[in-house]
Amino acid sequence: MHSLRPRLSNPVRFSFKFCKNCTRQLSQQAQGPLETENDWTDFQQTRTSLKTLMDAMSQYGSTQTSQWSLRDSLHRPTKDATLSALLASGAHFGHASSRMNPNFLPYAYGTRAGITLIDLDHTLPLLRRAAKVVRAVAANDGQIVFIGTRADIRPVVQKAAQRLGTQGFHVGDRWLPGTLTNKWQMFGHETVRSKRIVPDLVILLNPIQNMNAIQECALSNVPTIAIVDSNVDPRIVMYPIPANDESPRTAEIIAGVLSIAGREGIAIREAETQRMRMAVDSAWEDFNKMQVMQDARQPQRSDAEAFDY
Amino acid sequence: MNILRSQAFSVLRRPLCRRLATTRPFVPPVQAQLVFHDTLFAPGAKELDDNTVDALEAETNEREFEDDDFDANNFQDKAHPDSPNFYTGRSSYYDNIVELQNAISRTRGTLQRLHLLPLPEFAWKCLKPMPTVWKTPEEMTTDFETAMTISRYRKVTALLNELNEYLRIATTAGYADVADRIGSIISIFESGKKEAFLARGVRKPVQLDQYGRSYTFGKRKTSAARVWMIPVKPLSHESGSDVNVEEAFGLSDKPRRPPVNVTVSTILINNLPIAEYFPQPVDRERIVRPLKIAGVLAHGIAKGIFAHEPETGAILKRAKLLRRDPRMVERKKTGLAKARKRYTWVKR
Repeated sequence: MHSLRPRLSNPVRFSFKFCKNCTRQLSQQAQGPLETENDWTDFQQTRTSLKTLMDAMSQYGSTQTSQWSLRDSLHRPTKDATLSALLASGAHFGHASSRMNPNFLPYAYGTRAGITLIDLDHTLPLLRRAAKVVRAVAANDGQIVFIGTRADIRPVVQKAAQRLGTQGFHVGDRWLPGTLTNKWQMFGHETVRSKRIVPDLVILLNPIQNMNAIQECALSNVPTIAIVDSNVDPRIVMYPIPANDESPRTAEIIAGVLSIAGREGIAIREAETQRMRMAVDSAWEDFNKMQVMQDARQPQRSDAEAFDY
Repeated sequence: MNILRSQAFSVLRRPLCRRLATTRPFVPPVQAQLVFHDTLFAPGAKELDDNTVDALEAETNEREFEDDDFDANNFQDKAHPDSPNFYTGRSSYYDNIVELQNAISRTRGTLQRLHLLPLPEFAWKCLKPMPTVWKTPEEMTTDFETAMTISRYRKVTALLNELNEYLRIATTAGYADVADRIGSIISIFESGKKEAFLARGVRKPVQLDQYGRSYTFGKRKTSAARVWMIPVKPLSHESGSDVNVEEAFGLSDKPRRPPVNVTVSTILINNLPIAEYFPQPVDRERIVRPLKIAGVLAHGIAKGIFAHEPETGAILKRAKLLRRDPRMVERKKTGLAKARKRYTWVKR
């Protein structure tokens, strides 16, 4: 993304006008119909030259000194959520005060404009606690399911599950009731016997729409993490994260933090496995060296002589 | 009966427990007992023979242990499910959706780098038309292993149509490798009857035989007409005869009116054109009326004319002569006098 450009010196402004005219002409059908492949190639070349010119002229813009930059929180989220990032994404907006669940009171900051504001000073440590849980579960080869059943948070859960590789799963559409409690009928006997069906952790980004999933997790003894809003009882899940459940940017930040923690856990496990493998290999090497030294000191006797019965 | 000595209890101590121990962890005898037949411990129960015991053992081993307390089917030794969409219950459908979305985003990136996207309006009109026919929902149900409801089918076809648009751009701009990659994905979802479907409504061109004759068919309501048309050579003066007929008969002195150009459609009455002989349109109409032919023949003749002279296609189409009139006689219905005519309404 180009930064904002203030006023430019005259020669450069002329070039920009020229560029603008070129682009306007292109879009206003100044060109004839593209019939042959050569026409298409010329069309592409015009565009390429325009883009080169624009890119060359971009360096004459001013340099912004502020540190904040708009980042793609879906594809490249941050490892830790900051208070300012959560505030910017609107994580502190709860629902109407008339709908506030009394059990949510410890996490409520107050009321303004008829809505409950969520205290982000509680959100941050609870988010960090949930991240620790995810890291530990992932480090122990646990299966983690991300559930986000709205159209705007569907890509969020998909990306979060991708970060966990084979241990990450997601549900972007409806959670079918009976997935855990009726697994024999749902998945078939062969699959249930051969694969691990019950997950080790479930993370919900919109718990109100997925009460079935929460109930099934409770019945199957699966720990749950969820973004709880002000109209929800935080006790329905094991590790609630009080935040706005309707904001997709908040969901991106929280799911990003949790999935990166999970990825770290997998990396820790991989490093541990590698370390143990190397330790075993070096132990075997030492053992083999010892054997060789022993054989060198004492000449090999035949089996007949070895045992004197 | 002493339960401890009965054959039923001896089964408890027999391979049943051992079998369970090898495949699953230790089963408390209480739970194993519960598996047994109800009438086993009823008063007056007969002693079991080996066959019944074996059958009961087989039944116990087949039955799944759905108890969650010691869910032996959730051991860490087992593999993770393959698909990240496993918990949706429709993994193959969502896997395909994700694959299509990835293909679309990859292709979009490629075309953007080639400056072929976003395409201006005039360029969209220059693209080659590539009509496609996707598989029916029933065919896709077998592919995706889920019931293809209308909403799911629409979602899939929307993605496929977007891919098809990118295929059109890549093909028209001459990028064959990109087009091949997209084509390989699209061909999985294309109907096998694509050619037949696209050829529907396309008329076969009428072939002229060795003598230049056309054979066409005309239809209207329930009538049918077969029409053969043969081109006629235009009348030309015989070459080599310079004899002037009028001079030979000595009639060249008399004043002559300008000669009438006689074409195939000219009507002459006493050697005068019909417009001169019958100045009133009413009279002309009466004469020409029998020549106003039925719609069946008109359809066949129009198609024959189109076969001989394709340039007349536009005129015939504008005159709607090439169209087979789809109107058929509507059937009579019960309670009505005719197809639409109702019986007289009576108040009482």
